Amino acid sequence: MINAFLVFNGQGQPRLTKFYTQLNTQGGFAETITRQKQDTSIQQRLISEIFTLVSNRPAGSCNFLPLPPLLAASSTSHTSTEEQSDVPSLVTYRHYATLYFIIISTTTESPLALIDLIQVYVEALDKLFENVCELDLIFNFETLHATLSEMIIGGVVIETSLDRIVAGVRAQGTVAKRPVNEGRSTIGSGMGIGGNFAWTGRV
Amino acid sequence: MRRFEKSLYDLIRGLRNHKGNEKEYIQKTLKECRAEVRSQDMDLKATALLKLIYLEMVGHDMSWASFHVLEVMSSPKYHQKRVGYLGAVQSFRHDTEVLMLATNLLKKDLAATSPTVISLPIATLPHVITPSLALSTLADLLPRLNHSHANIRKKTLVTLYRLALVYPEALRAAWPKIKDRLMDPNEDPSVTAAIVNVVCELGSRRPNDFLPLAPRLFELLVDSGNNWMAIKLIKLANLLVQFASLTPLEPRLVRKLLPPLTNIIRTTPAMSLLYECINGIIQGGILDSAEDVAGADEIATLCVNKLRGMIMINGDANLKYVALLAFNKIVLTHPHLVSQQEDVILECIDSSDITIRVQALNLVKGMVSSDNLVPVVSRLMKQLKSSLPSKDRRVPGSSANTPETESDDEAQTAITAPTVRDTQALLLPDDYRIDIIERILYMCSKDNYSSVLDFDWYIDVLTQLVRMAPVPRTFDADTGALLPTRQQVDVAEKVGDELRNVAVKVRAMRATAVRAADLILDQLLSENPVGHSLSSGALKSAIWIIGEYAIQLAMPDDSLNGLLQAIPRIGKAEILAVALHATAKVFSSIAGSELEPWTAERKSRISLLLARILDVLEPLALHPSLEVQERAVEFIELLKLTAEAVSGQPPSTDENHQEPPLLLTQAIPSLFTGWELNSVAVHAQKNVPLPDGLDLDEPIHGNLGRLLSQTDIVTLQSDEADDFEVYYHQRPPPSSLSSSTPAISRLADPEDDTAGSYQQPSEESYLDADILAKRKAERMEKNKDDPFYIPSDNILRTSTPIHNILQNNNGPALDIDSIPVMQLDLDKIGHTVAAPSRPRPQPRQRVVVATDETLEGSDSGTGRQYDSENSSLAKARSKKSKQHSLLQVDSSTIGSFSLEGNASEAFDYERQQREEAEMQQAMKEVERLRLEMQRANERIQMAQGADVQGVVIKKKTKKKATAKKAADGDEAEATKAKPRKKVKKAAPQAVEGGGDDTGGAAASGTPPAKAAPKKKKKKKPAPVEEAEGAV
Repeated sequence: MINAFLVFNGQGQPRLTKFYTQLNTQGGFAETITRQKQDTSIQQRLISEIFTLVSNRPAGSCNFLPLPPLLAASSTSHTSTEEQSDVPSLVTYRHYATLYFIIISTTTESPLALIDLIQVYVEALDKLFENVCELDLIFNFETLHATLSEMIIGGVVIETSLDRIVAGVRAQGTVAKRPVNEGRSTIGSGMGIGGNFAWTGRV
Repeated sequence: MRRFEKSLYDLIRGLRNHKGNEKEYIQKTLKECRAEVRSQDMDLKATALLKLIYLEMVGHDMSWASFHVLEVMSSPKYHQKRVGYLGAVQSFRHDTEVLMLATNLLKKDLAATSPTVISLPIATLPHVITPSLALSTLADLLPRLNHSHANIRKKTLVTLYRLALVYPEALRAAWPKIKDRLMDPNEDPSVTAAIVNVVCELGSRRPNDFLPLAPRLFELLVDSGNNWMAIKLIKLANLLVQFASLTPLEPRLVRKLLPPLTNIIRTTPAMSLLYECINGIIQGGILDSAEDVAGADEIATLCVNKLRGMIMINGDANLKYVALLAFNKIVLTHPHLVSQQEDVILECIDSSDITIRVQALNLVKGMVSSDNLVPVVSRLMKQLKSSLPSKDRRVPGSSANTPETESDDEAQTAITAPTVRDTQALLLPDDYRIDIIERILYMCSKDNYSSVLDFDWYIDVLTQLVRMAPVPRTFDADTGALLPTRQQVDVAEKVGDELRNVAVKVRAMRATAVRAADLILDQLLSENPVGHSLSSGALKSAIWIIGEYAIQLAMPDDSLNGLLQAIPRIGKAEILAVALHATAKVFSSIAGSELEPWTAERKSRISLLLARILDVLEPLALHPSLEVQERAVEFIELLKLTAEAVSGQPPSTDENHQEPPLLLTQAIPSLFTGWELNSVAVHAQKNVPLPDGLDLDEPIHGNLGRLLSQTDIVTLQSDEADDFEVYYHQRPPPSSLSSSTPAISRLADPEDDTAGSYQQPSEESYLDADILAKRKAERMEKNKDDPFYIPSDNILRTSTPIHNILQNNNGPALDIDSIPVMQLDLDKIGHTVAAPSRPRPQPRQRVVVATDETLEGSDSGTGRQYDSENSSLAKARSKKSKQHSLLQVDSSTIGSFSLEGNASEAFDYERQQREEAEMQQAMKEVERLRLEMQRANERIQMAQGADVQGVVIKKKTKKKATAKKAADGDEAEATKAKPRKKVKKAAPQAVEGGGDDTGGAAASGTPPAKAAPKKKKKKKPAPVEEAEGAV
């Protein structure tokens, strides 16, 4: 099961956060409101921990991260396999141009397939936005969510076919284009999908 | 549409234009949003919500807006509704209070005609689901499994799965339908794939239910062209086989599965599928259960070789990682298969990628033996050393040492792994360094040090580790924040404990350990500038060793000096207490000699020493820690007495022989000598048998009160057979050495010290220069000066005469460091796979490692000491993991839930509907009552206003508007608080109680009415009449 799908940029600013399972905060009977505030700050902490990990990767590293301390603290036990399959234990990431795409998942997901899943997501965005860049994602984060919900529902992957995903998003209404006057110069070229990666053939 | 797009756009652009003072800008925007979200204009509201969602993403809480989220969700316009649902997904938790009010809305949208609208609640439910919500939406979700759009069908079934996680009954209702869908060959392939995904998730929790599906799943595996689904199918098959192997239900399954799996392995171009096949075959125990052994072997070799290939492929780190991941799973069941791959795995320890390193380390941890311990630890030590931050303490000279060895290292590794070079520059995070150190300790101490052949080497490694241990950040005074527990562990303390363990358990190594402890203390003193407190965790054990084995100190005066310097600078009370004791012990060993004549020189020396010690101890008599205070006071008094005795005893002259004061030679040493301290197994205490006739519940004395009152009168009878006294005063001397002559008899101890093998086949480039120098010097020393060296060596290592001869011949001139022995070692590793005949095992250094003391019948056998220390750590961890991990789903209920449960328990669709109907009725009733009250209220107002009839209508409409506003706006916030509380208490009761009790539902008060403000509007005419009728 996929626990969370995150997108952030090279400075660690979140561009998409989606948590399919809730952040279980310890703290007993704290009042709901404060707990939710805590949730938001824990999410931010998790993002920044992952960002620290991901931004320190030497070139040529694999697309998997060691568990960030926030997750590692509670998942080190190897007592039973049943427990294992529920605990988030895999952090997969991919880096496109200025953006990092992260999936946190349990062991029921195949690590290599997750790498491809991110690729599918980015390709779908590319199709929707035509040569997608970070600015598209910033200004259309609703579309990001819509695209994601065509692929993953409740942490379970429901679709991996590019065309169906794109069709599903388009059925919900037109996808807005990026504002014209916001030049693309800040980002440079698009994310360069496909060309720089030899992974397309794997799933 | 346009307007809200524009305004989110404005927000983002504003954010980009306010670089530097974003915080201010965000606060301003939040304030605006707060106002906007309360407006009447739905467009404005939705826009504000969208902005809030955006701000939530960057870390600004929006839980306060949950009611407004609900309002936008109920908008009739799709694009607004979508924003509302997005807000719910992002900000609602299962304990969000307004969720209660959303139930009706969700149910209504689930029944919508437009598939895009239906998708919204379906996609949202998994994020907010609670048992009661599951109960009330299940009936609306189930029909969606037959929706004409495949998209809706697959989303629905996933949502049903999430429902089942919190409310297992949902699965009972949904499973037959899901099964039908799976079995239907005409079903849309993407729906089938989604079902497989769900079944795979469920399968990990309850495989038994899915065994009957095996034929269909098998069919899908063979026919489908969808790799993603195939991966899931293999994972599922894996689970089923694992399950089937437990209960011999389906022996045919394995036989059937094997051909297609091997086929996939041989043909598939998709690496992920290949990997999962291999993983599945090995991990699922398919190998074990296959009947023909030859075939199984063939497949095993095929799989392992493929995995090996994955690691070997240059440049693809992902494959390397997953292969290691697979090995980590395989090693649990097939350790021999993995140990054949030792060479490639060891290669990965030096990978530049920490993720890969950690995986490799996990594997290596289980693979070490006496043969490869030294090379493995050497690699790790090199990593640690080379990753030391440059500012870190480096003993001068070591920098000259490092480059040389690095280049050496590179030359050796270049053949097999050309990319390893990066490692040296890599700065490792502290977490990882701690992890490595812990693993080194674990590997070495495993099975009561059975893998350690050379304890000299081990002690040197420990000494080095103390220097390399990261300083725990908890001691950071400036940040009061609590750090995660992993960082709080002072790993230096663990290293110190190891040193202490070795000193206690390995008698022959005690002298070396004491020297190492001495060195650690010196080092800590010299590298921390004066005035700074000493905080290394290793200090405690080092000081303890110095004190306990003071007899073996090479230069006790210097050590005492060091201790006295250290004491004022020790920050932790715990260490200070140990240090006080150690000081006394060292002093006693220096001054307590009985044989040394009591000369004037000795007298003045001891007086000076006493004065110094007293000077250091005296400030501690006022120490805030009671333990420290008590020890300090005790020793101060004792030493003062001693000082008096010393000054009172005239020194012996030629004519007048004087004994040294007894206090010095008898009393103080007797405090510290006696039985030797041995390591005791952790569970030994439990094994102490209960003496016969001991009943702890029995009162000590029948009439205790009287006894106590008598104590004033009765004098203690001394002649009572006092076993206690006898035991303590007349016990036999503990060993041959009586407490009065500790020094001499114990001085003999080091003589049976082994001359350890220094031909250690490793180039200890990871050791600091001074440790290396020390090793070398020791070697020379032993060879040159130790008259017992040759005979004792012969006795100790009769099995390696050639070794001895070589060593003797080369003698002092032998420069071990110049021989690149490491190279040989690598060869050895390289050959282990190719040549099955392993090199002759190294003769184990003949040192006796004491096992933990325990009692007969103890279940914690020998050598458990360190293990148990470890396991207690593991226990602590597992205890921690009992609390849920962040992001973990609690699915504990679904595992125990039975699909084929008895009929009475079965999900009763009709009952559910009946309950629904009752619920509806109850809600109507509530609505009616509410309206009645409203009417009454209006009437009162009307009476107060004393207006003509015509105004009433106007007023009514106004009223409606204000009522709505009240529901929306902040005016209501004060009033909202009250009903909310009521909702919280009453509503679960109403929902869970099935609503069969009208009273219960009525108690829930206004919320149902509030939940659907629109409904209220529409229904208005009818209920009003009804109410009028009632009145």
